[in-house]
Amino acid sequence: MSHNDTVPLYQSSQSDIDEIENMMSEGFQSGPGTVLPARPPSPIRPSIPVTSSPFVQSNLPPLPPPSQKVMPAPVPPPSLPSSAVNFGGSSEGGKTIGGSGFGSPPNTLTEPVWDTVKRDLSRIVSNLKLVVFPNPNREDPGKALRDWDLWGPFFFIVFLGLTLSWSASVKKSEVFAVAFALLAAGAVILTLNVLLLGGHIIFFQSLSLLGYCLFPLDVGAVICMLKDNVILKMVVVCVTLAWSSWAAYPFMSAAVNPRRKALALYPVFLMYVSVGFLIIAID
Amino acid sequence: MDPNQAPVENYANPKTCLFHVLFKGAALAFYILSALFFNSFVIIFVVTVLLAALDFWVVKNVSGRILVGLRWWNEINDLGESVWKFESLDQESLARMNKKDSWLFWWTLYLAAAAWFILGVFSLIRFQADYLLVVGVCLSLNVANIIGFTKCKKDAKKQLQQFASQTIASRFQSTVQSAFTLV
Repeated sequence: MSHNDTVPLYQSSQSDIDEIENMMSEGFQSGPGTVLPARPPSPIRPSIPVTSSPFVQSNLPPLPPPSQKVMPAPVPPPSLPSSAVNFGGSSEGGKTIGGSGFGSPPNTLTEPVWDTVKRDLSRIVSNLKLVVFPNPNREDPGKALRDWDLWGPFFFIVFLGLTLSWSASVKKSEVFAVAFALLAAGAVILTLNVLLLGGHIIFFQSLSLLGYCLFPLDVGAVICMLKDNVILKMVVVCVTLAWSSWAAYPFMSAAVNPRRKALALYPVFLMYVSVGFLIIAID
Repeated sequence: MDPNQAPVENYANPKTCLFHVLFKGAALAFYILSALFFNSFVIIFVVTVLLAALDFWVVKNVSGRILVGLRWWNEINDLGESVWKFESLDQESLARMNKKDSWLFWWTLYLAAAAWFILGVFSLIRFQADYLLVVGVCLSLNVANIIGFTKCKKDAKKQLQQFASQTIASRFQSTVQSAFTLV
């Protein structure tokens, strides 16, 4: 029975079918209804690790080069009966490498909670480094923020709102609400702007990017909160504004037609300028 | 204990169930009761949204896996397209899942979304735009989880059907082949 006549909609579907088939063929030999004897030792949970690696067979669409992959090293434990369980076993060793930034590791259903937390935190840090700081991956923007997440942007927006609200001497609640709504709605509208200009960008990827680019403004807002000198505030805001715009530039400009680059970038710059004004004007 | 018996009467994962309900309940309770204690909208907003975000993370990454064996996420492949990935345990483990656990999981998900919706209607009636913002954020987080897990469950069912039809076809084929070899 070949796998080629089923169309794998999702990679995990195909892998599950592979694995269930292997289990069934084992079952035919050892009698139906018996459970396979030697499962890989699972952590203390009622669920059993059986989902095999989606990145296994060659009937998958072209994969990125192996250096980026979380592919489990070829160390087949000889004691396991079926090849499917083999993948489950060897990918348990590989599943904690997930912070490499490509995406979730293969067998994530049974990893300990702490692993998930670590993976998400490391993803936030790596996304931040990718977007805001100079690094070689900025040459290829599409590949860079592949592993988008919205936690970083969420923290940065809330932090900026809190900082602005703290600096305000009156109407703190309104300041916070306005800052939050402005940033969130602004990110959504800017993304829609790029999409309507015929650009190729994923909605959430762009939201994530615009959120991460707020990090320099966060730093600027903290500095302005600590020191109340107007000149200093203006200098700091200009510097951080330029930094934010520089961070957002390659991703936004790569997404649209070159003739429409300015149309896509100008609103981003405008939004950061307005946030900058908010920071300066708060006293 | 034979796992193929009727499901156990108690929750199989009490701690996970507790956490699943804890953050949802805390967010709702804080939002409803906070007006009595705090004057500042900022604190209400930040704490409620933080609790709702924590709840979203817990449901998506922990209780979804443990209580119903499902997981969903989004990846961007090489061609730059966004792909929604769904992962589920195989049929045997899914059948072995505690019924009470999954009942709790799904019902609290729906109830929380309904509660936020009702609170949103209240704040709309009272023309409180800033509270509507809070409710909007929490509602969208809940709805995202509901949609994600529902799609994941449908995907798991579809895989089961595909697998079932595949094995029926393969068994039929092998039966016919063995019939022909015997003849």
